[in-house]
Amino acid sequence: MRRAVLTLGGTVAGIAALVAVKYQPAPSTAALAGTIAPPTRGAMLVQGTPATPSGAGGAAGTGTKAPSGGAKPHATAKPSATVTPKPSGTRQSTATRVSTGAVESTRYGPMQVQVTLAGTRITKVTVLQETNVGGTSSQIDAMAIPKLTAEALAAQSAKIDAVSGASYTSAGYIQSLQSALDKAGA
Amino acid sequence: MPGLILGVIGLGAAAVLWLWWKDTTAVHSLGDALTNVGRICGLLAAYGFVVLVGLMARLPPLERGVGADRLARWHAMGGRYVITLVTGHVLFITWGYAVTAHELVTHQAVTFLTSYPDILTATMAWSLLLVIAAISARAARRKVSYETWYYLHLLTYASIVLALFHQLSDGASFVTDHTARVAWMAMYAVVAGFIFWYRFVTPLRMLARHRFTVMGVREEAPGVVSVYIGGRELDKMRAEPGQFFRWRFLTKGLAWQSHPYSLSAMPQPDMVRITVKARGHHSGSMAHLQPGTRVIAEGPYGAFTPSLSGRRVLMIAGGVGITPIRAMFAALPPRVSDGITLIYRASHPRDIVFSQELDAIAADRNATLHYIIGSRAELGYDPLAPEELGALVPGLHRYEAYVCGPNGMTQAAVQSLHALGVKRRHVHHETFDF
Repeated sequence: MRRAVLTLGGTVAGIAALVAVKYQPAPSTAALAGTIAPPTRGAMLVQGTPATPSGAGGAAGTGTKAPSGGAKPHATAKPSATVTPKPSGTRQSTATRVSTGAVESTRYGPMQVQVTLAGTRITKVTVLQETNVGGTSSQIDAMAIPKLTAEALAAQSAKIDAVSGASYTSAGYIQSLQSALDKAGA
Repeated sequence: MPGLILGVIGLGAAAVLWLWWKDTTAVHSLGDALTNVGRICGLLAAYGFVVLVGLMARLPPLERGVGADRLARWHAMGGRYVITLVTGHVLFITWGYAVTAHELVTHQAVTFLTSYPDILTATMAWSLLLVIAAISARAARRKVSYETWYYLHLLTYASIVLALFHQLSDGASFVTDHTARVAWMAMYAVVAGFIFWYRFVTPLRMLARHRFTVMGVREEAPGVVSVYIGGRELDKMRAEPGQFFRWRFLTKGLAWQSHPYSLSAMPQPDMVRITVKARGHHSGSMAHLQPGTRVIAEGPYGAFTPSLSGRRVLMIAGGVGITPIRAMFAALPPRVSDGITLIYRASHPRDIVFSQELDAIAADRNATLHYIIGSRAELGYDPLAPEELGALVPGLHRYEAYVCGPNGMTQAAVQSLHALGVKRRHVHHETFDF
């Protein structure tokens, strides 16, 4: 009995510790930009914020109150996808290119994204097709896509986390984005 | 060996946690945190099922190195633990998603059941587990027969399969990570392969080679019978004294389950003997076995075998625990023959079996044989208490000790031996409670 209590207590403490170590209470967009992306890119993203006050401000605002992005999914969707940082003083060519990703079929329908690059920098991800079978799925997308886009812009790659609750949408999004980036040679 | 096995199981758990660690960059909110607690619980539980089934897969290194009685105890403890993890997984995932989506938990539960792939089957698996757990709980188990409990237990296989689908179709670690997905499926496939090979193919191969058939039954004492089983090349099964086989008698009412019964004598080329005390339906049926009944045997199993240390030997048998001890007593290496002591505990003279055989072996090997008969109340003392045991067998710290009997007696004897300075590695024991 004592051993059972110890084992259970140890498990609870261990799991709590693991999750606590991973915990970053800051809003997802800013947190990701600050920690994952290299400093220059992260800075650029943040610099981009005042350039489009209504859009990015809205994203950050909802972020603080509901970091998961579940509260007003549609309100955040458009702004975070259209964040276009001013490419002030970058070292490389800043020619804007658009690359369309492959259509990834998921259990809930096709998923396809288009990426806009300034040089090698991802400036925009547009969703061309999204899984849309039934009401629940589009509800899931509404929550997940802005989050995925924010993560992709912050990470500047397709190596991003799946959004919990939207495994399929995430997988389709990530794969399509990767194929778009591959095509662009980024 | 048991420590090594536990270490390997622990490493596997660490690998599962690493899988979670690797594909979770950060947890951003309360909903995220709850969901991730649920994910860890789920990953560990799914891994736990593989371990639990693996422990019961009759892997020779486990059966030989850890022992079936200890494996069964691990399995029982682990089973409770894993069911707790599964329940934690269900509750935390639902709660976490509900918080993230700003929904009621009940609403989220409905969403899971209706719109997520394979969650319905997974929920069935969980419900099945809870029913099995409730009926297997210690209190309830006394009210149901071993057979009911056993057949119910087989349903856990169904539960595991039902739960597997949602892991692959909803598990965030597996939908996006192809390698993890393949490794996870491989883990399940390997254990399924072990089960198939060691629990189905091996017994049939043994049957084809050895052709076990019941030769006859003899009553040794009230409720205790020896079953003589004939066959071919039985000495080539490489059984060691103290080991047991799992026996499945192919006759009406017995064919669906196998039970572990120890050899009470080392195999002859054409015959083995097991000795069984009637304790339930299966063991009670042994007295009525008809000669000619076909038998499927699995084994040899058991870690309770003589060590080759060359130290003096003390054997303590309680009740029908004499069965493996009888086989070991007759087969000890000759070089320890100057210091063998056998203590045979029984609560009533009529329960003593093999007394003629034991006397003959003792005379032949110049061994000391003590029959201690009567309950502790009747005797007025506890013959296995440290003082009594130390007086009966002086210089115990020089002995290798073997104890086999009911759980309570075995634990008492093992504690006395430790108290008398016999080191843990020199005490071997096996209990009959499954």
